[in-house]
Amino acid sequence: MSEATAPKVFIAGKPVEGVHEVHEHVSPISSYVKVFGALLVLTALTYGVSYMDLGNASLPVAMIVAFAKASLVCMYFMHLKYDDRYNVFVFISTILFVAIFFTFTIFDLMQRDAVNPEQDTFFRANFGEAFGFQPPEPPEGAEAGGHGHE
Amino acid sequence: MSAIATAEHPEHLAHHFDTLEQQAAAAKLGMWLFLATEILMFSGLFLGYFIIRMFYPEMVLEAHEYLSKTAGGVNTVVLITSSFTMALAVRAAQVGDQKNLIRNLIFTIGFAGVFMVVKYFEYSAKFEHGMLPGKFYHAWDHGYYIEGLPHIFFGLYFCMTGLHGIHVLVGIGVLTWILLRAKKGEFGPSYYTPVENVGLYWHLVDLVWIFLFPLLYLVR
Repeated sequence: MSEATAPKVFIAGKPVEGVHEVHEHVSPISSYVKVFGALLVLTALTYGVSYMDLGNASLPVAMIVAFAKASLVCMYFMHLKYDDRYNVFVFISTILFVAIFFTFTIFDLMQRDAVNPEQDTFFRANFGEAFGFQPPEPPEGAEAGGHGHE
Repeated sequence: MSAIATAEHPEHLAHHFDTLEQQAAAAKLGMWLFLATEILMFSGLFLGYFIIRMFYPEMVLEAHEYLSKTAGGVNTVVLITSSFTMALAVRAAQVGDQKNLIRNLIFTIGFAGVFMVVKYFEYSAKFEHGMLPGKFYHAWDHGYYIEGLPHIFFGLYFCMTGLHGIHVLVGIGVLTWILLRAKKGEFGPSYYTPVENVGLYWHLVDLVWIFLFPLLYLVR
């Protein structure tokens, strides 16, 4: 079998040699330990920040930390950093479609009043009474919400 | 006449693939497509959360105080640790370290079990206090008067954590299957696709929790 007749084997569009081995990237244990440490620190950070009164900034801060953690898990634990580009493409397009789903639905709900002013009233009025939700009045001196029991 | 036919045929190579690497890449692409559907499924619940938060911010604010931050925090650490041991298990399979593969799989299953035990205590506390979804909500019988629409919030809470909990249980199932196969010595540097794909699934379960925890338990 000469060089000229041997067909090349392609993976992800690239010719590969040594076709009977799997050549995936093996990360050193130390990189996993570092990522694990970073995830724990970020968890402590979200937990700590939740006790501070950040007002409206609270949601964006929590989301930024969550996205940072998610990126670490995806890139290092799920090997996307070293992986086939096709898998990265699948993942990124999923996130893109989730973003479209969120944006358009929220946009619709926010703008609905402009078209039909009664829409909002209808939505709210029926929401509370659904399932026959009729909470009794709290008795005198009873603790009225807002204070966690744990 | 291909170069492959003349070479020795590897044990795990299915006939319709040219190489082990091609086979592994195909399996992994399939797994990522499955994970995409999982992300899209959970995204519906997350969108529900954001809509309810947008229209009834005070409801989420009042009711979320009744979730145990400690239990949620402990479970976050447990799940991240299990993701770490899973990543180490995949690495052990890649380098052919049989002992560490089995040990890390056992750790991962153990942490998943701890997660479910904490979840069990959290859920039983909610059941006891009548903090249940929709028409089952009766926390006022137990002396809790949560303002707003807590029955909607707890509906959301049980749907989101419940679907995630089912994923953890399925994870325990598939991890046990992988553990049994690993004990038979089926995995090594040339064939570890099942370990890797179950690992990807397990990391996704962790990813969902990374977003669930701050949104339900922490954010004001």
